Formats: sequence, C-alpha cells, structure tokens
Amino acid sequence: METLQYAIRKLIYAIPLLFGVTFLSFILMVHFGPDLTYSILPKSATQEQIEEIRAELGYDLPFLQRYGKFMKEVVTLDFGSSTSSGEKVSSILKKAVPVSFLVALPAFILANLLGILLALYAANHRGRFPDKAVMVLAAIGMSISYLMVVIAFQLIFCTSYGLNWFPVQGWVEPPPDYPDATAGEIFYYYWYYYWSYVAVPTLASIFVALGYNTRFFRAVIVEELNRDYVRTARAYGVRNRKIMMKHVLKNAMIPISTRIIITLPFVVIAGNLVVEKFFGIPGVGLVTYDAITNGDLPIVKAVVTCTAVLYVLALILTDIVYKIIDPRISYSK
Amino acid sequence: MSEKEVIVGRESLWTKSGRKLLRDRAGVAAMVVVGIYGIIALLVSFGVIAQDWDKLGEEGFEGMSAAHWFGTNINGQDIFARALQGIKTAFQVGVVVAISATAIGGILGAIAGYFHRTIVDEVIMWIYGCIDAIPFYLFVAAVAFALKGAEFTVPVLDLHISLAPYAMHIAMIATFWSSTCRIVRGEVIKIRGLEYIQAAKAIGVGPLTIIRRHVMPNTSHLLLVQSTIAFVGAIKSEVILTFLGLGVKEGVSWGIMLSESINDVLRGHMGNFLGASGFLFVLVIAFNMFADALQDALDPKKVSG
Repeated sequence: METLQYAIRKLIYAIPLLFGVTFLSFILMVHFGPDLTYSILPKSATQEQIEEIRAELGYDLPFLQRYGKFMKEVVTLDFGSSTSSGEKVSSILKKAVPVSFLVALPAFILANLLGILLALYAANHRGRFPDKAVMVLAAIGMSISYLMVVIAFQLIFCTSYGLNWFPVQGWVEPPPDYPDATAGEIFYYYWYYYWSYVAVPTLASIFVALGYNTRFFRAVIVEELNRDYVRTARAYGVRNRKIMMKHVLKNAMIPISTRIIITLPFVVIAGNLVVEKFFGIPGVGLVTYDAITNGDLPIVKAVVTCTAVLYVLALILTDIVYKIIDPRISYSK
Repeated sequence: MSEKEVIVGRESLWTKSGRKLLRDRAGVAAMVVVGIYGIIALLVSFGVIAQDWDKLGEEGFEGMSAAHWFGTNINGQDIFARALQGIKTAFQVGVVVAISATAIGGILGAIAGYFHRTIVDEVIMWIYGCIDAIPFYLFVAAVAFALKGAEFTVPVLDLHISLAPYAMHIAMIATFWSSTCRIVRGEVIKIRGLEYIQAAKAIGVGPLTIIRRHVMPNTSHLLLVQSTIAFVGAIKSEVILTFLGLGVKEGVSWGIMLSESINDVLRGHMGNFLGASGFLFVLVIAFNMFADALQDALDPKKVSG
C-alpha cells in the first residue's frame, strides 16, 4: 500500500517535469522554430495556398492553442510527415528504432559489464599498482574524442591499411531470395551480417564509454568499501571475495543501476548520432542527422520530445523499482 | 619554532590547496602543458604565429617537411598552422562556455540551496531537471533550429548580431550549468545551517547580501573545479558537433580538421587526423589531470600533508 502511494506521488511529481520538457521542446522548435510554409509548398504558390498551409500548420493560431496542438501531437505520437521525404514520421521512427536498439545494445551491455569488472578489480587493489594502472587507462580513454576513435577503428578494422576484416559502412540487407533456404540458413545470414556491421561500432562505443563507466563505478565501490559493515565482515573473517561480491557489489548496485537505467532511453531512442552517421547505419541517429542537415523539423521534434518524455518516465520507474527493492527508501529522503 | 608551524598558523584553504597542488607532480606537469597551450592560443589570437593557415598551396597532401611540419591538406594548406589555429578556437569555445556555464550554475545553485525547501528551490530544480532530460546533441540541434535567422540587437548602437553561429555556445552553456548548479546547491544546503550565516541573519543582513558575501565565496573551490570540467566538455563537444554540422562553421577548428580527415585517411593521408587528434588528446588529458589534481588539492578531507 505504501509502495503504491509512493508510486502515485512520484507520478504526480513528474507532471511538472513532463510539462517542462514538452514546453521547452515547443518553445525551441515550434514557437521559435523555422517557418515550414515554403518548404512544403510548390514553387509559385498562390496566396490562398499559402494561407491554407499556414492554417494547417497552425501558424495563425495564438500561442496557447499552438501549444495545445503540439501537445496533441505528443500524446497521439503523430508528428506529421517528414518535410523532405513526405513519409510519416511515426513510420520512419518505427523502422529506425529497432535498428538503433540492435546497434547500441551489445556495446551498452558490454561497456557496463566490463566497467563493473574493472572497477571491482581496481577497488579491490585500491591505492596499489593495479588500481593506478586501471585509473590511468580510464583517464586516457576519457580524453580521446569519440570521433578520433571511430576514424581510427574504421581505419584499423575496415580498410586495407589495417586488418580489413569488416565492411566499411552499411547495414544488413534482406537475404537474397533463394526458394530452398532453410530457416537456419536465413538465421545464419542475419547473424553473420549483423555482427559484421555491428562489431566495429560496438568496439568503438565500448572504448569510449569504458573510461567513464569504470571511473564512476570505482568511486561508488570504494565508497561502499569504507563503510562499517565491511570492517565488521572482515573482523569476522569473511573471505575477501565474498565481501566484494556479496556485500559490497550488492550495495553498490543501487547507484550503478540508476546510472544504467537512466542512460537507457538515450541509447534506445536518441540513438548514436556519431556512430550511425559514420558507419552508415539507418537507425534513429542517422535519421536525426539527416533531419538536422536538411532542416526536417517534424523528425527532430519527434525525436527530441520522445526521448525527453521517456527519460522522465525512466527516472520515475527507477525510483519506484528501488522502493520495491529497498524498503529503507522513503518519500522524505 | 620550526618553519612548518609558522605556515600552519596562517593557513587558508587556498594556500593549503596551493601547496598540495604543487606537491602533486602529475598535476604540476598537467598545469605546465595547459599553460603552454594557453600561451600558444594567445600568440595565435594576437597574430604572432600561424597566420597563414588559410593560404592555399600549390600541391595538396604533401608529406612532412621543414616548411610544413605536419604536411599539407587537400588544398595544400599547412596542417601545423591549422592545428595551432585550432588551439585558439578550442580556447575560445572552452573559456566562453566554462565561465558562463559555471557562473550561471554557481549563482542559481547558491540561490536554490539558500532557499532550500521553498518554491524558488523547486523552480530551479525543475528547470535543470527539464534540461537534463533532453539529450545534449539533440538539444544543440533544437537550439540551432530556434536561432536560425535570430538576431541580437544592441539598441543604442543599432548593431545586429546574427545568433545562428553561436547556437553551439548557447546550447552548451544552457546544458553545462546544470551539473554545477546541482553540486553548488548541495554544498549551500550544508553551508546555510552554519553559525556565521545564522549570525548574519540575526543582525538583519538581507538574503541576497548573505548569498553574495558569505555563501558564494565558500563555493568558489567547487566553481573552479567545475569550470575545468566544463572547459574539457566544451572542447570535446565542439569536435562532435562540428562533425554533425552543428558546430564551428567559420575559421578552423579541430572538429573541422577531423571531419576533413575522414576522407583523407581512407586515401592514406594521415596528416590532418594525426595533427588534430594529437593536439586535442594532449590538451584534454592535461586538463583532465589538472582537474583531478585540483579536486584533490581542494578537498579538505583528503589529508596528504
């Protein structure tokens, strides 16, 4: 009962935040946004056509009504059609979101897992050489620009100047139409091409994220190691491995999983502009990049608003999940 | 009485931190490197060196030579001079963003912390909550959309400044202040309960004066560390944003050089890539190390001597 109350309170608390992010998107991209009238109209349009389009886009409406119109778009998830291709924004995103998800997922999982392992290793040898070595490597990883990494990795893995193991750019095409292909063969086809396109972007993303992750996770674990229960456990002669895995890691999981969960919407929806643009992967990142360069407002509007709203929802979700996991957390805290 | 005791007698946070920082060898080395970059940036800005960065040469993609230390790019422009110009651009972006974002974050954070549990605090937290919810690169894109064709008019001088080229700066400032604000707010919530604030209140000092005279100076160590972090963030973001077509459009920057190098490296010309990324990497790692050393030195809980 208390948990339910807590959840409802959190949801009510999120209303101003949801209002804020949609209002901010509205102000930036609709109110002050570019006038789309002339990019939709054909050349030499008549005055009536101009009036008609302006009415359809709602440019003649007062501020509050325009905001209402925008909110209707957000709630119904109908952001209109792309101004460059004419396709529905929702159908463009429906195709792009799974691609982004597939590209981002391996890197996301591995970068967090490796980060936790390295952080445990470093924290366990706190202040001694292995710790310092890991932290120096993390500092170097944090100082390298993402763009440098993708250029270098493409050169090393995808071109004849390096190993030439993977294709330079592109994404999985539907398999050629062989009538006698078995399900296993088709699966193998997808599996093979998926990894050949996703391997280098994954390596690059892990490389970039690992430094930040390790540093953050190490700080959390070291803080946990300084607590009294660790000293007590040691005094009772509990083995180090057990302390690290069972007590310290378990307690450190709360800040660690917060970080993981709240970055999830960015991974899934916002996609990764750099990697997708660079490796020509048709996910949300590439769609957004094209929309930014073409001035295709409906797409940018949809991506920004959806990500922001999902982020707020993820924040509430983490709070509620913690309440269930850890009953010590109360509303006043 | 030994020399050490004399120093201890009149020690403030700043003198103690200064001594701690100078004893940190990695921190001092990093500081020297950043200093050299800063001097180069000044020399470039005042027109002393690297002025012929946009002079077109006869032959593109020359190798390394005494005339062109890092070779030339596709237009025969000297890559070394362009990389030095990149230092100037990076410092321009970094300094503007770091100072503005830290100032805004510091002031709003102090106000929010001082008026903790009032509507003022809630509103400020609400604003940064909203900004944090929008992914950074998309936020820059949204700001760029909003500023397309926007003008800033100075009323008396009749000056019209187009805001579009500064979309990147404005967006960075608008997002980077939130982390400073959050940290300063947390610190001020601790400070506001201390006796000297109570005493100031008791003798009738107004809240804004207390914030300005007594609260803000006690957050300055946090502001210093936060501004170094914002500086690094701005330099790194510039590269990515320029690659995405949202960043620097005029002049030359490391982002422009790296974007050009994408096609160069596939043809085997590494000059642009190595030049820009080398300068970028050294500056960022030096600044990161400096920020770490600064943070350690300013942390009174860390007793290293």
